[in-house]
Amino acid sequence: MKPVLASAILSLLTVSCTDLAIEETDSIIAEGSTVFEGVADVDASITNLYNDTYGQLGDQGNFFALNEVSTDETLVPTRGTDWGDNGIWRTLHAHTWSPTHQFVLNTWNNLNQNVLRASQILDPLSAPNAEQDAQARFLRAFSMYFVLDLYGVAPFRQPTDAPDVNPSVLSASEAYNFIVNDLETALPNLPMAGPGPTEEGHSRANQAAAHFMLAKVMLNSERYTGSQPNYQAVVDHVDAIAAEGYALQAGYFDIFKQDVPDSETIWYAKAGVGNRIWNGLHYNQNSPDNSGGGWNGFTTLAEFYDSFEGPESNALDAGQEERRGWVPDAASANSENLGIGYGFLVGQQYDEDGSILKDRSGNPLIFTKDLPGLSGNGEATGIRIIKYHPGDDGGSFRSHEIVFRYADAHLMKAEAMMRMGGNATPMVNELRTLRGATPLGSVSDADLLAERGRELYVEFWRRNDMLRFGAFTGAWTYKNEASIGDDKWKLYPIPVNALLSNPNLVQNPGY
Amino acid sequence: MKNKLLTKLLLLPVVLLMSSTAFAQMTVSGTVSDANGPVPGVNVVVQGTANGAQTDFDGNYSISDVANDATLVFSYIGYATQEVAVGGQSTVNVTLAEDAQALAEVVVIGYGTTTVKDATGSVTAVTAEDFNQGVINSPEQLIQGKTAGVQISQSTGEPGAGIDIRIRGAASVRSNNNPLFVVDGIPLSGGNTSAEGDAVGIGSNAAKNPLSFINPNDIESISILKDASAAAIYGSRGANGVVFITTKSGKGARGSSWEYSSSMSIASVAKTFDLLSAEKYLSRAADFGFNVEERDFGDNTNWQDYIFRTSTSTNNDLAYSNNYGSGNLRATFGYNKNFGVVENTSLERVTGRINWNQRFLDDKLKIGVQSSISRVNDEGAATAASAGFRGDLLGAAYSANPTWPTSPDFDGTGGLLSPSTMLKYFQNRANTNRMLVNVSAEYALTSDLSAKVNIGLDESESTRISTASPNAINFGGGVLGNGRGSLADLNTKSELLEATLNYSKEFENSSLDILAGYSYQNFNRNGRNANAWGFFTEDMNQMGDAIESTANAIEAKITGDYQQYGFAGNTGGIFVNRLFPEPTTDIITDLNNLAVKSIFVDTYDNTDELQSYFGRVNYSIADKYLLTATMRADGSSRFGQDNQYGYFPSGAFAWKLHNEDFVGDNVSTLKLRLGAGITGNQEGLGYGNFTQRQRYAGGGPDDGGNINIPGIVDVSYPNPALKWEETMQYAAGLDFGFNNDRLNGSVDVYRKETSDLLFNVLAAQPSVQPFLFLNLPDSKVVNQGFEVSLGYDLISSDDLTWNATLNAAFNDNMVEELQGEFDAGTIRGQGLSLAFAQKLKAGEPLFSYFLREFEGFDPDTGQPVQSDVQDFVGKSALPTLTGGLSTSLSYGNWTASAYFSGQFGHYIYNNTANAFFTAGAFRGGRNVTSDVLTAGESFDAAADVSTRFLESGDFVRFQNATVSYKVPLSGDEFFSSLVLSVTGQNLFVITDYSGLDPEVSSSPAGGDLLNGLPVFGIDYAGYPRPRTFTFGLNAKF
Repeated sequence: MKPVLASAILSLLTVSCTDLAIEETDSIIAEGSTVFEGVADVDASITNLYNDTYGQLGDQGNFFALNEVSTDETLVPTRGTDWGDNGIWRTLHAHTWSPTHQFVLNTWNNLNQNVLRASQILDPLSAPNAEQDAQARFLRAFSMYFVLDLYGVAPFRQPTDAPDVNPSVLSASEAYNFIVNDLETALPNLPMAGPGPTEEGHSRANQAAAHFMLAKVMLNSERYTGSQPNYQAVVDHVDAIAAEGYALQAGYFDIFKQDVPDSETIWYAKAGVGNRIWNGLHYNQNSPDNSGGGWNGFTTLAEFYDSFEGPESNALDAGQEERRGWVPDAASANSENLGIGYGFLVGQQYDEDGSILKDRSGNPLIFTKDLPGLSGNGEATGIRIIKYHPGDDGGSFRSHEIVFRYADAHLMKAEAMMRMGGNATPMVNELRTLRGATPLGSVSDADLLAERGRELYVEFWRRNDMLRFGAFTGAWTYKNEASIGDDKWKLYPIPVNALLSNPNLVQNPGY
Repeated sequence: MKNKLLTKLLLLPVVLLMSSTAFAQMTVSGTVSDANGPVPGVNVVVQGTANGAQTDFDGNYSISDVANDATLVFSYIGYATQEVAVGGQSTVNVTLAEDAQALAEVVVIGYGTTTVKDATGSVTAVTAEDFNQGVINSPEQLIQGKTAGVQISQSTGEPGAGIDIRIRGAASVRSNNNPLFVVDGIPLSGGNTSAEGDAVGIGSNAAKNPLSFINPNDIESISILKDASAAAIYGSRGANGVVFITTKSGKGARGSSWEYSSSMSIASVAKTFDLLSAEKYLSRAADFGFNVEERDFGDNTNWQDYIFRTSTSTNNDLAYSNNYGSGNLRATFGYNKNFGVVENTSLERVTGRINWNQRFLDDKLKIGVQSSISRVNDEGAATAASAGFRGDLLGAAYSANPTWPTSPDFDGTGGLLSPSTMLKYFQNRANTNRMLVNVSAEYALTSDLSAKVNIGLDESESTRISTASPNAINFGGGVLGNGRGSLADLNTKSELLEATLNYSKEFENSSLDILAGYSYQNFNRNGRNANAWGFFTEDMNQMGDAIESTANAIEAKITGDYQQYGFAGNTGGIFVNRLFPEPTTDIITDLNNLAVKSIFVDTYDNTDELQSYFGRVNYSIADKYLLTATMRADGSSRFGQDNQYGYFPSGAFAWKLHNEDFVGDNVSTLKLRLGAGITGNQEGLGYGNFTQRQRYAGGGPDDGGNINIPGIVDVSYPNPALKWEETMQYAAGLDFGFNNDRLNGSVDVYRKETSDLLFNVLAAQPSVQPFLFLNLPDSKVVNQGFEVSLGYDLISSDDLTWNATLNAAFNDNMVEELQGEFDAGTIRGQGLSLAFAQKLKAGEPLFSYFLREFEGFDPDTGQPVQSDVQDFVGKSALPTLTGGLSTSLSYGNWTASAYFSGQFGHYIYNNTANAFFTAGAFRGGRNVTSDVLTAGESFDAAADVSTRFLESGDFVRFQNATVSYKVPLSGDEFFSSLVLSVTGQNLFVITDYSGLDPEVSSSPAGGDLLNGLPVFGIDYAGYPRPRTFTFGLNAKF
């Protein structure tokens, strides 16, 4: 009996001894398990990288907030208890953010993560083909550009580096050269996609998108390299886009519809436009495909509204220029526009049946031009911005947010020509005429910046533009007095936990 | 290498065996019986030797080689041990007396048992007769407050809610602080068995307590290992202590018996908020100049009454036991239905259990089987601690305009959620089947050496379906007109194989006990998570069916392996993402049998393994000096290659001073215990975090029903050094008893240093993931404290006894070393996105509050006066003192007992008030508590996170009171015993805390946790604890 039992136990022990290796049942496990072995599937990784980038672009906080809420164009006032959010919106607009600001950290993480994921795809171990290589380079350049633009440096890591390797840090000029090189390498291998409704052609990088990005990066290069940009190259890249057939298009708000083909959209993100619609609209403004109404947050400033041509009112056909949009009233509200206007919503708001909307306290919902401050706001203060309309086909949650648009390229070319001593006025007026604005007699620096604001509001570029025109350290309503004129705020701080994680990083001056 | 170690371990007892010898003179035999007849299985040992036997089927025994002047020791669990001098007789018959005290003295210590008197570490046992009474959904509740230093709190009052147990403080910053549970020898996985579900726009439904599958009436005793010297035998899973649950067996009186117990409970909410009535709401609105007409929707609804209810619960258990001599059997069936005090919440549990023990081959072979099967059905309302700015059902009930009608289709709320909409158009149901089987065979190779093999199987299947009807107004997420639903399947399976050798030898003046063992356990988790949008029905049961049928229909169309699949209007057919054999995305164009417009399903299937070698040596000299040494080598597939095996040693020494001559006779117990050991915690590690792994990313239908087909992403980083979290614990204790233990108690002191903290640190960017799983270098969390327990028999006479026990534990927690600082304590609610109230930093305790200092409202503006910078405020959510007082009085057939619990020194962040009870909330049309409008706060004031909402959490709770009456029986009745009882639970709470209950822990879902850090001490509209009255009867026949 004893030997039988003993041997039974021993055999059980032998059988069950395990090497403790986990098996590939629901994930692909690197064999060596200590080193990077290439991505498992290049296309699938590119898809994931696009999805991530789209998600980041569609967000209302983080990337969007750092580039828009920090400017003279947008603010998110605290309304009673709503939108207090630990001061995260107020400090952005007032230029009082700190190195622990959540958006500063999240954006740093998101963009840098995109960079490494692109590098993984580009690594020889992943063996991408020429077009895959080009797509990954474009995405890396896009994300790294914003790391550079927002934070002034760009950390870099080889995919094969172990996690305990401290990433090297590219200086601004090194990062600039790196980005330009990526884009120039990518460009010839990207597909051509002329203007039109082709979905894949415009939701992914194409040659026009690479030209656009190169023009953008080069136009801003003085801030990174200290030397004068190659303005002619900017012009050439914009011309190359035009050569593909992209052109300015009449019907300003049609451009932002998904179902109206336009000749301006170069690259759009498959990101829901819900945030752009609902974050400003009041709780009682709604569309059939949404419930709960708007979120009653984002507004613009009175000065920004005043930079457009037109009378105080923004009623339909009140004489304002097209880009300022219009607000329906009892007569013009209908089931198509849902009572919700386009562009800048000011004054009394209406329901789709023409009845006046009220706020939650039961008072008429009248959006005021002025705000009492960053805090202490009621429900109705501030003019709301809406470029994507919830009544459009595809509904208020369609996935179609424009990132690169030809009108921007057009104005970049005008700016480059002006910097080379040329005259930007005809090009600016070409656009203004198309938008129903009075042509300008001459175009100054300030005029061009203002024109870009009027054309491109809430399209991610306001901070970038204000920096290039030296206006970002200027004054605007509810900006902290002490921050005005302080160059510190031109760059965001390196997030405090990022500094801890990589000793090669140095905090930006002033923080 | 492993095999060498094994061989050594196996050989060790054999070598020791060689050294044993015995002397002999005569043969003694006899019969052992109790009040009911012969008792089989009684141990009979010649005192001071290893010579002995067990009584057989008929209670007979026979021992040869007994000296004339020897003393026989008769011992059996549950009976008082008897010593009888042989005095030259060849027949010694003995009648044993039952001894409840003796039963309580037995403690399970892992791979064996000991007694409290012989334990060297801090171990305690609570037996069935001391269990808490009333509505008990989970075993932990049975021993709540019974043991010093063991803090047990149910996270909410919801039936089946999770329970937090902290033994000697919180040591881990990130991973689970719950102890290891061992049920009838099977260590359970720390994970959930019921699926956690996406609550479609309301947040996430927490998984239910995985232990609720055990019928509390099946439990005989619960033992707890508090210190490392005892818990180290469980190595990398022992750092938070070990809790053993032992189920009842059929042993005891010879023959068969039945036991039936039944109870009925009535529960109601113990406290509600003092909200404005409709009339007051409107008159106050008028006082402050708001447009009353627009606020008045004509009704008068008390929303708290609307969602709360007085609920009844029933519990019925039937048990059959049979002790037939060579073995025993116990079979039970239990049915429990527990309705929660919030509408639409309930827990239903059906359990069956068969425990069987059989002795073979002259009692040399013992086979034991413990098997249970259970089904738990739970129903939840739209209550979720991670609800977004619109709040959940409870938040909605606290803030809803009291003039709203109760129609679920009412659409005048200005975007707010009506409680009636949430009750009517949201459904969340789950069912969980679980089977736990343990089979053991123990063979006595010699009288000193036995071998045991233990095989365990723990298997569960769970499905949770949450749906929001297309009628649900204001849910967000594209629910209105479309409907949304989620389905989560979770299956778990754990297999255990253990083999142990036990050598036990009594010498002249000492005894030796050696244990060596091997253990293998695997843990598989697999399942799928489905999210669907766009339904063709408004019936929520049919919606659930539609998700399941669509998922199944698509799976039938797919050939081969896949990780995920989905379909939406924009995906051009059904997409299938496969990882194997090669990553590919296929499109299937056959769209038949799809019952939803959009669906996304992701699957998972992974297995972890644990392989361990362990040993323990107990040596006692002269019944005065006790020594214990243990060692466990744990190999885990969760660790990286560099650290696949962890080694966890411990040692302990106890000195029974009361057996020394220099201690007087009035000191009945005086024992000093010293111990130290290293234990680990691998609960926070998760699967495959030490290697580069790639999967398709997650996804799902957006608000418009579209799906971006996911691509592949790295889900973890290579980190070969990844390992367990390690706790070094030093402990000392003194057990004492005077006057025959009439006054008894113990004092314990300890220091626990936890290092190599597991943490999701921010990766140095660029990184594939924002966080990187690693053991924080130079990190240390220290818990130190002392525990006191005291018991006193105030009155001890024949017909009247009264005793009281008090336990108290002081714990001091400190993060002594940590690089960096991490925001924590996620705060939720309207206008509170990204707000947080706690910070993790060296030099502060865990869960330390980090807030603006609120100084009141500016009398002129009504704006809060406070700095706009958050800072530490010197307060933490961890109590410094926890304690319990229980007392029991019995007179004749009546017994009354009462139990009070208390916690002190901690602070609660009243997130409920922060989110809902402010002047700004009232201006926005929400209801508030009546004090809000008299506080001088401006209606425009923001409600930033500040000390305004931080309150002391000190409380004393009258937790439990039971009166029972044992019906006097003449002995001729059908019943052999009949007991009636009444129990009240949560009778009252003494506290200054303004929320509903000071014992709170509303934690949002994992994804909403800042830095992945758990939340503690934050009260956000937690499901309130009920006050419960239970009427019970227990009959034996």
